[in-house]
Amino acid sequence: MGLFDTILGRTKPVPSNLDALFALPSAAITLQSAAAMTCSGHAGVCFKPPSGQGFADMQTEVVSLLGMEGAAGITSTTDSFGYQWLVVQDPDIEALVTQIHLVNSSLADAGWGPQLLCSVFGLAKLPTVAPDGDAREGASVGSGSVLGSTAYLVYLFKRGTFYPFVPTGKEQRSTEEEFKLRSLLADDLTVETDLDRWFPLWDLPVG
Amino acid sequence: MSTARNIPNDRGLSLRMFVTGLMIVLLYGAVIGLLIAVGISYAVVLVIAGALLFCQYWFSDKIALYGMGGRLVTPEEAPQLHGAIDRLCAMADMKKPRVAVADTDVPNAFATGRSPNSAVVCATTGLMRRLDEPELEAVLAHELSHVAHRDVAVMTIASFLGMVAGLVTRMMLWTGMMGGFGGGGNDNNNQGGDNTAMVEMLVLVVSVVVYAISFLLTMALSRYRELAADRSGALLTGQPSVLASALVKVTGDIARIPTRDLRSTETFNAFYFTPAIAKSGVSISTIFSTHPSLDQRLAQLASLEAEMGRPS
Repeated sequence: MGLFDTILGRTKPVPSNLDALFALPSAAITLQSAAAMTCSGHAGVCFKPPSGQGFADMQTEVVSLLGMEGAAGITSTTDSFGYQWLVVQDPDIEALVTQIHLVNSSLADAGWGPQLLCSVFGLAKLPTVAPDGDAREGASVGSGSVLGSTAYLVYLFKRGTFYPFVPTGKEQRSTEEEFKLRSLLADDLTVETDLDRWFPLWDLPVG
Repeated sequence: MSTARNIPNDRGLSLRMFVTGLMIVLLYGAVIGLLIAVGISYAVVLVIAGALLFCQYWFSDKIALYGMGGRLVTPEEAPQLHGAIDRLCAMADMKKPRVAVADTDVPNAFATGRSPNSAVVCATTGLMRRLDEPELEAVLAHELSHVAHRDVAVMTIASFLGMVAGLVTRMMLWTGMMGGFGGGGNDNNNQGGDNTAMVEMLVLVVSVVVYAISFLLTMALSRYRELAADRSGALLTGQPSVLASALVKVTGDIARIPTRDLRSTETFNAFYFTPAIAKSGVSISTIFSTHPSLDQRLAQLASLEAEMGRPS
């Protein structure tokens, strides 16, 4: 914030930064080879719904756009902090990133970028028993081969950075696992360097 | 610049704030010029006042927290408060301030600390008990805006001159009563004594005038900065009416609480969410007030809400 803004007491809403999202597929490959982990197929966008009909209309439009893109299992929930989550499922990481980017860019293009909080991508361990050599087949749950997430990658729109989040129970997180993930992902993703900003997201609606 | 939502800056508010700030700067200039013209014997007052104010500024977080009985809390102790602040900071892309809770039933919140790096945001238990979660979040967004606008630093600098003038006035009155102006009336024939008396009277008058003007200007600046924080806070959450409902709830409750309990918190009003002094709505009282009237704040939020509601 500039000196002039300080003197006049005003803040500019921070625009969102979306490009870094496309680094995710290559990070997923690294994870698979180095830690036997993969994207679980769940991802969600979190935003603060502002008042007014304009935003509500926009949201309906985005959901129908997602449907046209072939996204399955779109759910919309409101968490205990009053933030809204749009959750999508797709076993294909490329498609998942495209859908999340679609949600984000539609909201940002319509001028709601400042309302975006974060996007979350679920990570899961690859199943150890793998018939036919295809790991995913063994643990297919629900649609396609979507797994239950055990760890998450959180993308901060305003910073354009990722950080890992590994909840282990009620309001507890495994810092050790998070640091392991950070060192694995450091080459592929821009990882948030300021640890103060790795805020926890308890009770994530992302499966 | 316009915001992403095409809500323009409030030019009127920016202009009023700028003019007020400019007048404070001009007043500074006039006083310093006068000091040089009269002689720099009052420089020592400046130094003392400067030192006092610097301490107030440097230790503002500790002073305010101590004064209010605020206690820093960990995320485990206050998960809801920390969670709300985490999210707001992520949306505003600012560093997370420390979080404190004051155990008092007066519903209020304040932000303090000399810079965003040493900032503390404190909410009282009375506030958390009365407001629901969206309303609490709206109040926190208002306080985070104070942090982002560096209001502690701005108001400290703005109120420095008033403090100096107040000190000089008090010193002059005190020495005048003790020894009489210019060394007393028994050497009236002494031309030098008369001159000194004249100069001291002049300094007294000037410092009273400077004190009055800078007091009014500081109050005005404080009101504008409250409005600016309301505005930024409402834009951050995107829900101006939620902040409005929090204001109504808190103001109503404050007016109902006996004033005896409130007087002890009066000195900290400058960075509060709502002032703890229950004022009857006389128009003249608003120019002596650190906070804009409730009606004024609600009107601004209502017009923001209307702008939000417009289809894009």
